[in-house]
Amino acid sequence: MSFLALSNIQKSFGSNRVVHNFDMEIEKGEFVSFLGPSGCGKTTVLRMIAGFENPSAGTITIAGRNQNDLKPNQRNIGMVFQAYALFPNMNVFDNVAFGLKIAGLAKAEIQTRVMEMLKLIKLGHLAERYPYQMSGGQQQRVALARALAPKPQVLLLDEPLSALDAKIRVSLREEIRLIQQTLGITTVFVTHDQEEALSISDRIVVMNAGRADQIGTPFEIYNRPATRFVASFVGTLNVLAATVVDPAAGTVTIGDQTITLRESIATMAKGDHLHLALRPEAGSLAEGARGDTALVGAVTSSHFLGSVIRTRLDVAGTVISFDTFNDPNTKPPAVGDHVTLRFAANDLLIIRD
Amino acid sequence: MKTNKILAWFVVAFGATYFIVPLLATFEFSLRMRRGEYSFDAYATVFSDVSFRESFSYSIAMAIATIAFGTLLVVPTAYWVRLRLPQMRPVVEFITLMPLVIPAIVLVFGYLRLYNSSSMIPFTGTTRGTDLLFLFALMTLSLPYTYRSIDASMRAIDVATLTEAAQSLGASWTTILFKCIFPNVISGVLSGAFITFAIVIGEFTIPSLLNRPAFGPYLQLIGANRAYEPPALAMIAFAMTWLSMGAIQLLSRFTISAPAKP
Amino acid sequence: MIKETARMSASKADLNRKIFDWLGIAPFMLFALMFLVVPTLYLVTGAFQNAAGEWTLENIRGLFTDKILASFSISIRISLASALGGALIGFLMSWALVLGGLPSWVRSLVLTFCGVASNFAGVPLAFAFLATLGRMGLVTLLLRDWFGINLYATGFNLLSFLGLTLTYMYFQIPLMVLIVTPAIDGLRKEWREAAEILGANIFQYWTKVALPILFPSIMGSFLLLFANAFGAIATAYALTGSSLNIVPIQLYAQIRGDVLHNANLGYALAFGMIVITGISNVIYIFLRMRAERWQK
Repeated sequence: MSFLALSNIQKSFGSNRVVHNFDMEIEKGEFVSFLGPSGCGKTTVLRMIAGFENPSAGTITIAGRNQNDLKPNQRNIGMVFQAYALFPNMNVFDNVAFGLKIAGLAKAEIQTRVMEMLKLIKLGHLAERYPYQMSGGQQQRVALARALAPKPQVLLLDEPLSALDAKIRVSLREEIRLIQQTLGITTVFVTHDQEEALSISDRIVVMNAGRADQIGTPFEIYNRPATRFVASFVGTLNVLAATVVDPAAGTVTIGDQTITLRESIATMAKGDHLHLALRPEAGSLAEGARGDTALVGAVTSSHFLGSVIRTRLDVAGTVISFDTFNDPNTKPPAVGDHVTLRFAANDLLIIRD
Repeated sequence: MKTNKILAWFVVAFGATYFIVPLLATFEFSLRMRRGEYSFDAYATVFSDVSFRESFSYSIAMAIATIAFGTLLVVPTAYWVRLRLPQMRPVVEFITLMPLVIPAIVLVFGYLRLYNSSSMIPFTGTTRGTDLLFLFALMTLSLPYTYRSIDASMRAIDVATLTEAAQSLGASWTTILFKCIFPNVISGVLSGAFITFAIVIGEFTIPSLLNRPAFGPYLQLIGANRAYEPPALAMIAFAMTWLSMGAIQLLSRFTISAPAKP
Repeated sequence: MIKETARMSASKADLNRKIFDWLGIAPFMLFALMFLVVPTLYLVTGAFQNAAGEWTLENIRGLFTDKILASFSISIRISLASALGGALIGFLMSWALVLGGLPSWVRSLVLTFCGVASNFAGVPLAFAFLATLGRMGLVTLLLRDWFGINLYATGFNLLSFLGLTLTYMYFQIPLMVLIVTPAIDGLRKEWREAAEILGANIFQYWTKVALPILFPSIMGSFLLLFANAFGAIATAYALTGSSLNIVPIQLYAQIRGDVLHNANLGYALAFGMIVITGISNVIYIFLRMRAERWQK
């Protein structure tokens, strides 16, 4: 049985449908990210789990208990906000102790617990400091400690890293993941940064315009995107337009070149149009490169980035981008060169929309 | 949240009543001059009273003078402090806050002692001199508002960069001051002007102690002797305050917005 | 040799420029000296001198006589009362405008009105309240005709402590609203939500988070209101004449006709006023800096 279940969640503001039929089951101790662009509804779903918004339809269950009638202060959920939201009139200790004081814990217990949490986030020496005396990264760590202190059943994070500097973002996200794994707490993490989501999640929900386009592990999401949106939002994607030649054999034409697909297109008819996607790391220009498929094109630009060479190729009118590792024995292609891009037909994804 | 809204409406209604009822009452009272029926007799009496016209025009003249000289004093000073003497900013700001801390009556007391007929600078020795002292007192009184208002608009347009740009294009000081700076701070000037106007028209303590025939003392005298003219005058005073403040609100709609953020 | 001349003329140019700079604010400084600094200092030093010009504390001691103490007492009490009333009602109104869930036109209308009302003081205000709660005032008459309540029979009199306090509150409440509304605006939604998700109910949120955060602004505004009322004279003069012997009216009488028969005592009176309004304002500024630091 799942720990946190969202069943058929819908949300409308007036006549504006913001979340459509959202279904999700999250296991205990799992780290799930809601990934998507601004306005896709991910924060709305998060706020519905917290209780700040009420679903227009559907139920939210935590540990078997229906949360729909519970107010936010009754749900025993921890939340970290994008703007840290530390109480400015209290120092670090009092901020972290807040939830415990509300719960009526004894002073000694509060003391132990708070110091425990401060040790977890490695800020024990700043217990007396006030929020305005700390950096953004430090404030967010205190916010995390504050949310975790009352031992909530679920941890929610609403774009917690978006307001921070790039360097802090990377180190803090790893720290968050480490703490989450140490405590084994079920966590939902909202972000628009796909690298963040890919690097620390157990599973990702990619959201688009109020719908969950795909739910899966980072590996699945990246390598087997279910929709064009997921494919283009997560990582770079080259999209080629193709026309069906023989559905049974799986041959298509791209411009005046013919290739055979691995994936079945038997359901399509001759002359149908479809889109094929190819990841930039999937192709190679080397003579003996692995791959049963080849496309020819003219080089439009070539960028030497050190360990990676990024080449742009014009294939049948579409410019695609692919990355190859630097090889000291091979010079990068020059602009205007006609080259052959080799790749495995398996790597071609059919985008069905 | 429902109880919140009800409580909020109740509070606002209470506040509205507290503010509007006295205004209504004043208006109603001012109409009672003629026995048994409502009329504008009180207003007619007021407007035909010579003392009214005289004191009102006197106060208006003082208001205009205060605005003019106040602006003349503040604009270059605010500009100069921003541009050349930023280290003096705290001092100047402290000075502009002093009239808010020191009550007007105390200031006038000081003036009367310092500048009376037997001192080195005998302002009060002559009528014209007393008028001048009155002017300076009013300028002092309105200083916090004019300075804050003009300084705010200078800050919004970043005078330092504007001046440098103008200088690099070859403009002279007068050109810079009158063609670049002044037009851009005019909304701040006008805001300060309207507040000054409201303050000067209503001022009682200073002209009363300096024995000048301003509108404030006239109001007080009428209040002591007449019954229906005072509320009529109060309505007129309120209308003028309202017009001044309303003008400022309108101005703030057309203010230059803050510079674009990067 | 050339280098030295160059350096000398460079530093001369520097000096010239510096003189030019200071010249720029000379008119303002002269004005401030003549009409702010020197008069105040004159009075302050005069408070510590006797008629012969010798230094003495007898004027300050003289402030502690019955009559003057009584007027300070009345002044302080009226200022406290109107500041308290203004602060309470003003705070409630600000709360209603920002957090009450009212339509936006209410907020702009009320704030505009507050901007006007906070400047509507002095003699016209006294007239307005006479027309409202005076013996023949509209409210007095309505209470009698509509509700059968004889206001003045209950002992109420507009020309009294309570009456003056009510009149003062007409500009105190708007002033409070104007100052506190931005402070309540600054209460971030996330603080409320963070408190809620940590288990707090509305009461706990207000007592543990919101009011402590607002305290510097509220206290500071209260002090501003206090100082504002303390220095006011025109309204009181027009309303209660000299029957309510507040300090500014004492000073007024002293300036007019040396009723204290001791010029230096008058200085001490002025000094006393400056001390009270000065301290209030200093604490206000300190509290405001505190508030800004927290809500950066």
